[in-house]
Amino acid sequence: MQTLAQLNLPHLAVEDAAFAADPVSHFREARKTNPWIAASDIGYWVHDYQAIRDLLSQDDKFRPAYDGIVEIMGARGTPWGRFTEEQLISLPPEQHAALRTTFARKFTPRFANQLRPMMRETITRMLDEWAPRERFDFEEFAANFPITIMFTLVGAPVEEIPGIRSSLETLGLAFSMDKSRIPEIHEGYERLERLVQRIIAERRASPDKGTRGDLLDLLIETGDEGNVPERQLQDLVIFFFVAGYDTSKNVLTYTLRLLLDRPDLYERCARDHEYCRKVLDESLRLFNPGSVPRFTDQDVVYRDVLIPKDTMIWFTLNISGRDETAFEDADTFDPDREIDPATRPIPFSLGKHMCLGQHIARAQLQEALHQIAQRLHDPQLAGEYGWRPYPGAWGLKGLPIAFTPTDKTPEPA
Amino acid sequence: MVKVTFVQPDGSEETIDAAPGQSMMEAAQASGIRGIVADCGGNCSCGTCRVFVAPEWRARTGTASELELDMLEMHEERQDGERLCCQITLADDLTGVRVAVPKSQF
Repeated sequence: MQTLAQLNLPHLAVEDAAFAADPVSHFREARKTNPWIAASDIGYWVHDYQAIRDLLSQDDKFRPAYDGIVEIMGARGTPWGRFTEEQLISLPPEQHAALRTTFARKFTPRFANQLRPMMRETITRMLDEWAPRERFDFEEFAANFPITIMFTLVGAPVEEIPGIRSSLETLGLAFSMDKSRIPEIHEGYERLERLVQRIIAERRASPDKGTRGDLLDLLIETGDEGNVPERQLQDLVIFFFVAGYDTSKNVLTYTLRLLLDRPDLYERCARDHEYCRKVLDESLRLFNPGSVPRFTDQDVVYRDVLIPKDTMIWFTLNISGRDETAFEDADTFDPDREIDPATRPIPFSLGKHMCLGQHIARAQLQEALHQIAQRLHDPQLAGEYGWRPYPGAWGLKGLPIAFTPTDKTPEPA
Repeated sequence: MVKVTFVQPDGSEETIDAAPGQSMMEAAQASGIRGIVADCGGNCSCGTCRVFVAPEWRARTGTASELELDMLEMHEERQDGERLCCQITLADDLTGVRVAVPKSQF
């Protein structure tokens, strides 16, 4: 058996713009030296699909490493640092289980399905405003969708969307490990925290508290029933914003990028609501924003390699579906491909930290794609696009498109 | 030990011996039963360990909790006796229980 330090591991420049533009090629090159793990300046990277599945599902051996990120960023003791170290995913196991169990019922498929009419109304309203422009940056359009949904769910004032969106853009870059961003991260976090504290306080003081039946009512009620401290309730709502913004936005943007090359599939999305789900599942295999950081909570032996306790490891959920040893024609976008349960894509992670909001995310993406495909006819790429930093919330930076607007709703297939 | 039989969509059967106190999902995973995905590891948040309990065993496995029912709504095709097997705790009186595994968990 070898220790991790004894291995000859490839070193990846994950912070570089060139890496963010094409991480798949870099990981495939790294695989020639070691088939499942690589090194970087900010920790190790497990990039083999089976290794991710084997290791990330062992909740007893790994703990979330957000405290490590705060340490690297030199932000310990700051409001953002405190939140990052105490947010739901970072809590000790017993506290995490209690809090997650308390709120789990508000994030189920049933609850997500109940939200679909509101999601459809939101995207329709946005398309009414944006479609007549005939060209726009699709990423910017997509960014307004999840944040409007989230504002609606917690009854936040819509006039504050631009400011909070700016905060969330900044917070989405927090895990890119660029210390020069720290001042704007603090500013962005504090603006979001102030909003969340205010909407909770106002709702508690409001005569219609508990009668709206929106997510904020439900979270306050459930939190009170479970004696959840106010600070944790606030953190959960902040977490809801941070986790739900550029994840959904980046997936929707990347999905459209894929469909620009497949007008046949795009047209089918306009006709076939259920097919949109398959398109999104396949898009999530090819791309998702997340690489999740963990610390080993004990010495771990895997494939005859000893990984010492407290080693920081990133799991590349975002490119795990491009692993050619697990997926046939891994780079081919094929929504009709058969899903083998043994190699089910894992965009929402595994184990007890699996994304709580995944059912809401899936529902809103499906509703959005179906409506977009009906209203933005024959979209074409109308300029260049870039990439966001790879660690953290990875994705396209900008996606200029031109299209023919239509207000006709095709008949369902 | 508790004997649990999983019936696959093609009709083939696999019977395993499980320890009382385990969840049916844990027992299935330990024995490599096909089709029990269980991405969330038993936290009732992924809905990918669905099984259909044979009618004669439903009284003993019990009924789905509200949270479980809310999770099962992710599946378009619903069926009597459906449960998430991470929510079924095996006990001696369940020995011989038979469950069917769906064609797909997604």
